[in-house]
Amino acid sequence: MDPLLRPGHNAPHLPAAMGPGYADVFDRLSRQGGRVETTGTNALPTFDAHAGAKQASFQPYQNNGGSVVAVAGKDFCVVASDTRFGLGFAVPTRMISRNLVLNDKVVLATAGMQADTCTLHKVLRIRLDMYRQNHGKDMSLGAVSQLLSNTLYYKRFFPYYTFNVLGGVDENGEGFCYGYDAIGSHEKVKVVCTGSSQSLIQPVLDNQVDGKQMYDGQPVAELSLEQTVELVKDCFSSAGERDIYTVGLDGRGQPPLYVKILKLAFVLTSHPLRSKYTRSHFIQGQSPAVRDSQTTTDTYFT
Amino acid sequence: MVREGRMFLTRSEYDRGVNTFSPEGRLFQVEYAIEAIKLGSTAIGIKTEQGVVLAVEKRLTSPLLEPRSVEKLVVIDSQIGCAMSGLTADARTLIDHARVETQSHRFTYDEPMQIDSCAQAICDLALQFGEDGKEEDAMSRPFGVALLIAGIDVGGKPSLIHTDPSGTYVKWDAKAIGAGSEGAQTALQEAFSKTLTLQEAEVLALRTLKQVMEEKLNKTNVEIGAALVETGEFRVYSSEELEACIERL
Amino acid sequence: MKIGGGHVRGGGGAADGPVKVTQTPYVVGSSVLGVKCIDGVVISSDTLASYGSMAKFRKISRIHKVSDACVIGAGGEFSDFQEIKKTMDGVMIEQFCMDDGYVLTPSAIHQYLVRVMYGRRNKMDPLWNQVVMAGFHDGKATLGMVDQVGSNFESEVIATGYGLYMGLPLLRNAYRPDITVAEAKKLLEDIMRVLFYRDARTSNSIQIAAVTKDGVEISEFYDLETKWDYQRFVDGARSGDVSTW
Repeated sequence: MDPLLRPGHNAPHLPAAMGPGYADVFDRLSRQGGRVETTGTNALPTFDAHAGAKQASFQPYQNNGGSVVAVAGKDFCVVASDTRFGLGFAVPTRMISRNLVLNDKVVLATAGMQADTCTLHKVLRIRLDMYRQNHGKDMSLGAVSQLLSNTLYYKRFFPYYTFNVLGGVDENGEGFCYGYDAIGSHEKVKVVCTGSSQSLIQPVLDNQVDGKQMYDGQPVAELSLEQTVELVKDCFSSAGERDIYTVGLDGRGQPPLYVKILKLAFVLTSHPLRSKYTRSHFIQGQSPAVRDSQTTTDTYFT
Repeated sequence: MVREGRMFLTRSEYDRGVNTFSPEGRLFQVEYAIEAIKLGSTAIGIKTEQGVVLAVEKRLTSPLLEPRSVEKLVVIDSQIGCAMSGLTADARTLIDHARVETQSHRFTYDEPMQIDSCAQAICDLALQFGEDGKEEDAMSRPFGVALLIAGIDVGGKPSLIHTDPSGTYVKWDAKAIGAGSEGAQTALQEAFSKTLTLQEAEVLALRTLKQVMEEKLNKTNVEIGAALVETGEFRVYSSEELEACIERL
Repeated sequence: MKIGGGHVRGGGGAADGPVKVTQTPYVVGSSVLGVKCIDGVVISSDTLASYGSMAKFRKISRIHKVSDACVIGAGGEFSDFQEIKKTMDGVMIEQFCMDDGYVLTPSAIHQYLVRVMYGRRNKMDPLWNQVVMAGFHDGKATLGMVDQVGSNFESEVIATGYGLYMGLPLLRNAYRPDITVAEAKKLLEDIMRVLFYRDARTSNSIQIAAVTKDGVEISEFYDLETKWDYQRFVDGARSGDVSTW
């Protein structure tokens, strides 16, 4: 596969096919190193060394950051995302949802542009309702994975600026994840991360879950659900320390004063009574505007 | 029948417009379409735990006719097949529609369509008739054909569904349609049991056809096929397989 | 090719003339602030629309009453805001004409506006605004925003424009879940004053709107009291000063 088409990669050359006016949208995003200039009233005319002074013109894309993770186990899948709404160097709100519970067995998490995320989630929710009504059953994980790919590709020439992970348990009760790029290329995997902290989190997951890059080459023990949840929490804690577009917690599970935020996580298992985590376990922190110095990680996960 | 004297009691007032109810609440054109099926050749479907058997009579009106070109048993998607009776040309439209719908389902959801949903898709089109001509592809009259749809759902559940020109679909254990349907249905009702094996169902289907056919049953004037739980697929039997079935009669 | 403030799209047809879309805002309003309270919700804005560095319109309202339970306040292109007002009024009138006694809830109005804004951005013909929506329905306050690309959320505190950088931290600091409308009005006034001191596109003439169980109450324009004799203001920055004041 073209490495640029892999989930989580911006593909600067792709939108060229959208024609003039759209041509360098993602390109511009990537040249700014992920930082998007605010398209607000204060946007100043930008200066291009080659073209001289340029008028600020409308950009339909906005990168609101965010990271999404999915880790699948034998009979469960954990899907998590942070909740920071980033805009340039500002954080207009610390509490947006990137997760969408599609049904008892499938959860979607989306990073990228919030307006597109919101629209994509609405479209999918409607499609799943229609499927349920037309076919008298919930959509399976595999069916959703194909539907999501088609939905993204349908807007191939004016893409949803979204980076998705899909997680859940399949018809046999086994956990799986799917990672996507913005235009629908996807891959069925056991562990995946996309969004602004992809390069920080993915290698850790590869190492801890898949046993990649192990010095002694010993196969790793399969993680339990509880261990997986702890690992995912640690991933966000660490990424949040180094990525301004992702929010995390510190090593002791204490959110640093003022900052920070909660993440949403979902735990799925085919055995509802297996543990304190039941299927589609919806975990959400408290109100973001509350000064959250006293809150602990466990607040978010109970 | 003296039409002039019984204006409101005869059908003549209301049997032209396909969208006009009679005072008794009937749509005569739809009823006539259902009648048209009774002119068609007989088709039989039998459901067993191992799969669903479909058998049809082919009326070969001339010895010069190429028997293989009369096709009354077709595959819709790999897991769904159907038998038809009535105006078989109308059936092509419905089957084309069902084929598009099942393929579109695979494209969108990467999974086979349910048998129920397929029947529903066919019935959706069956109802798309009218005289206003507003809808481009809509028929101006009801489809004069009934179908027996056989298939295996994901998980291995066999289904036999009957659709008629009114756009109604009903599930059956064993069903006969066409000219010989009355006699055949009675025979099926007597002989059917839920414990039938697939082989027994093949024999029952052919035996029942034989009873109601005017011609003598042979390997050219019937077709047989089955949706098998074991493979999850629908297949029309080859003439060798058909011959083997006939030998078991 | 540019004509006036609009970017010209080809193929408009001789009868219609060329189609103009906002590619860049010209006459713009600055910040809007909002706080959700225990007994209602409050938003504030100044009354200035600037044309570049010129204070073009100094006494215009950037707050608009949509229903008896909902107001919107907007920054960004002022003419686009006027179109939004017209659109929302049209929706409310249409609903009124149904004569079924049903009135759109504030969150429904918010979502409607989100879809309008997102739809326009998809057409590459945006309404270049950051709109704050405040409502009070069924004893509960809602506060949301949407911008020219369709980004949207609901939150306890909201700030747009320069307020996003200088007002929001102050708002977050001062916010309590049990803050009252009266307290919030005072809070927003204080923050508007800070914005006036440091945002060169904000004036000292402001307007505050509150939505409570009693309905919408939008204040008259009034001038902030300002104080310029702080020693740091008077002295200004000197070489060697660590502070930029």
